[in-house]
Amino acid sequence: MAGAELALWGLVVVLGVWAHMRSRTALREAGHRAFAFAKALAIRMPLALLAASFLSQILPRSVVGAALGPESGVLGMVVATGIGSILPGGPFIAFPFAVSFYDAGAGLPQLVALITSWSTLGVIRIVAFEWPMLGPRFVVLRVGATLLIPLLAGIIAAGILWAAP
Amino acid sequence: MRINRTDLGFALFAAGSGALCWWLGGSEAVRRAFGSAGQTLLTIVPVFAAGLLLAGLVQGLVPRDKVKNWLGSASGLRGLLIATAIGVITPGGPFTSFPLVVALAEAGADIGVLVAYLTSWSTLGMNRILVWEVPLIGIHFVVLRVAASLPLAIVAGLAARAIGERFAGRPRKA
Repeated sequence: MAGAELALWGLVVVLGVWAHMRSRTALREAGHRAFAFAKALAIRMPLALLAASFLSQILPRSVVGAALGPESGVLGMVVATGIGSILPGGPFIAFPFAVSFYDAGAGLPQLVALITSWSTLGVIRIVAFEWPMLGPRFVVLRVGATLLIPLLAGIIAAGILWAAP
Repeated sequence: MRINRTDLGFALFAAGSGALCWWLGGSEAVRRAFGSAGQTLLTIVPVFAAGLLLAGLVQGLVPRDKVKNWLGSASGLRGLLIATAIGVITPGGPFTSFPLVVALAEAGADIGVLVAYLTSWSTLGMNRILVWEVPLIGIHFVVLRVAASLPLAIVAGLAARAIGERFAGRPRKA
């Protein structure tokens, strides 16, 4: 993690120097834009994080895992899509959830649908980041275009497992 | 700082899930939730700050005519492929990708490109796969999931263009 953070700040410095060489006011403008974003998110992001933590404490892992068995098929993938979209938190919370679902009996294609749904349709990410930064029209369009993607991923994964078990 | 209706909605959402957590898990679960939320916040603040600065800088540096040409509504399949490739290599979480989307949108990238980028970043992003998914779930699952997800960013981008044309009623410049 620390490596990724350093790389990111390194990139900020490199781009900052480049921008400053191109225009004297570039740094101040970039700072203004960053501050405007930060102001929009300052209240709602901590609240969204808190809500995600609350929900992750009470999600019934064994019940969910058992409902997503390999024999649950496409219906299981649809259920997995629904659960994935409300799965709270970042990767450090969601991936351990997926492992506990697997241990409770979930099938691999269903887990593919779940992880794909969590990463593309995650409600908390949408309301915490996408809606405030990109607006409702973009959100509706993107969610509409992405709605079937988790199901597709699950079906393709089932096909791969069937062809090369 | 002004508190608007969206923030109020978030406050209600947090309070509601907190009440549910207390009801189902007791005060111990509530305490654990506060602890993990605080810890997460401390971890992401430095990353988020970098992401926002990055977005602010990129917005000023990105040449609009080039973005329009490479990633605009007339960029076709090539634009979607480029967006997918950028999504794979974008480091960081939503704190870096969403600001980048804002920057690209304001520079003239079209909806299909933006959706392809976000889908690629969220399903195929190297950073998350290497840092989190391989260690936490294992390489076998990752290979299966990535293979199943390879074509999907393009599919989502094409779908977004199709919906966008109908939804907005704005003809795409050919």
